[in-house]
Amino acid sequence: MKKYFLKKLLFMIPVIIGSTVIIFLILHLSPGDPVDMIVGPNVTPEVYQNIRISLGLDKPLVTQYFIFLGKLLRGDLGQSILQKRPVLDIVLERFPVTLKIGVFSLILSFIIAVPMGIIAAIKRNTAADYMSMSFALLGISMPTFWFGLILLYFFAYKYRIFPLSGYETWRHYVLPVITVGLTDAAVTARMMRSSMLEVIRQDYIRTARAKGVRETVVMAKHALKNAILPVITLLGMRIGWIFAGSAVIEIVFSMPGIGRLMVDAIFARDYPIIQGSMLILVISITLGNMLADFLYALVDPRIKY
Amino acid sequence: MNKEYQEHADLINVTANKRLSFRARLFSNKPATLAVVLIALFIISALLAAFIAPYPYDEQNLPGMMQAPSIKHLFGTDEFGRDIFSRVIYGTRISLIVGFTSVVISTSVGTLLGSLAGYYGGIVDQIITGLTDIVYSFPVSLLAIAVVAALGPSLFNLIIVISMVSWASYARLVRGQVLTLKEWDFVEAARALGMSNFRIIVRHILPNSLAPIIVMATLEIPKAIIIESTLSFLGLGVPPPTPSWGSIMNAGRSFILDAPWITMAPGVMMMVLVLTFNLFGDALRDTLDPRLND
Repeated sequence: MKKYFLKKLLFMIPVIIGSTVIIFLILHLSPGDPVDMIVGPNVTPEVYQNIRISLGLDKPLVTQYFIFLGKLLRGDLGQSILQKRPVLDIVLERFPVTLKIGVFSLILSFIIAVPMGIIAAIKRNTAADYMSMSFALLGISMPTFWFGLILLYFFAYKYRIFPLSGYETWRHYVLPVITVGLTDAAVTARMMRSSMLEVIRQDYIRTARAKGVRETVVMAKHALKNAILPVITLLGMRIGWIFAGSAVIEIVFSMPGIGRLMVDAIFARDYPIIQGSMLILVISITLGNMLADFLYALVDPRIKY
Repeated sequence: MNKEYQEHADLINVTANKRLSFRARLFSNKPATLAVVLIALFIISALLAAFIAPYPYDEQNLPGMMQAPSIKHLFGTDEFGRDIFSRVIYGTRISLIVGFTSVVISTSVGTLLGSLAGYYGGIVDQIITGLTDIVYSFPVSLLAIAVVAALGPSLFNLIIVISMVSWASYARLVRGQVLTLKEWDFVEAARALGMSNFRIIVRHILPNSLAPIIVMATLEIPKAIIIESTLSFLGLGVPPPTPSWGSIMNAGRSFILDAPWITMAPGVMMMVLVLTFNLFGDALRDTLDPRLND
């Protein structure tokens, strides 16, 4: 078990290093001169040169990368060009909004998807199966932002049940969480159903039935325990999907989270903010993946690496 | 012959043995038939957009702005008085171009890398699998946003970005297929006949793993279309005035109270297109995978 955790932890390192390379390169691949972006075009060559040196832009790319990495390790993400404040402060201010939407959506998604997938599998080819799978197919075919806009139109504009924008109370979180939770539930329910169908056909289920175990016990104790494993594996990927999708949701619902910060920064060309917000998203996604792996190892006693 | 072996043999032989009945079985599935018809309609409307669309997609008509849907303007008009129906028809082009091209590129790259990794094993396998794992564990849309943020938005960049982030699933699939297939007698026989590795992969191994690749590719097209619309919705897609469903919805977002049709129309079209591909992919998988036929 320890070895398994260690292996998973070690795998995080190349992922995070790879991400820092990508994030670092964003600044250097993008058209336009970073110094111009900070000071504007009307400066004397001496001032320009000084800023260039102070930013370390005169050094070779590889050296620059390691300086960037060194600063990262010390928690220094640089200064926002626009807000003139440390990027870390800004990013940490915005993070709770994204985290709340993500966690609640994931909980909602599992509450809906797991029973739905199980029922669809047990009652295969019945009305219940067709209905839940049509719902799921609709869910995976809908762009999340569009579903969000529709909810916003009906429940915030037309019937004014929920507020249009803001993030102060729980009511602000209802629509975003429903949007992400339901679209995510569609994917998970499909997974749960096919996994359950696979398990039901196994010999140990037949054995349990043959022993005269009651059907509900067979399902709850023998089938569910095995069928949920692939869904837990999927959890890591869903966490990634939810965090990466935060930009769209936060823009639709005007929530000041990390995703929106990132997109606003892309348009403002505030590169330190882009890098900072991407980095915190990558770290949360990697941690989420790791958490899912650990959970998987805890639930599945067969995992021994 | 044990059961597992038989199942495996069925899977391997699926493309050969069941080819005759494949079309019949696919079209006996009603949703699949409907999906094929709809896909054809979408392709036709994208090709013939200039003839189908009643107005040019960028024709402005300020006095007629934000009109509700009517006979004259089926889906209404936007804030510049442009006909939404025409823009949506033209927008089909972007969705289909991005969907098809990026899937062709990512399938090719993924299949190539996956078969190299599976066939040669060793250090080649370790490098490719490591790379695949990293790309796989990095969320697709975030990576796409990052690359577009660096390269700037354009149709070409969009296709590159989507291909870059989606080849990994093919590589994984093909690697697994090749690993099992290369132990088979017919591969051994081909090797004994002195065939080159390249020929063995191309002539014997890949044709036998075609079924799952095709299924995956069909199900990846709608994903690519959704990524495109998401990026366009964020303003990181195809630059204006070229209409893309995502950018039409993005523009409509500001007027959703007074002119909800600007957002609704492309969204509904998008859902129909994506649903169509998903239905088709699901049907294809059920038809090609004999293990599900009970």
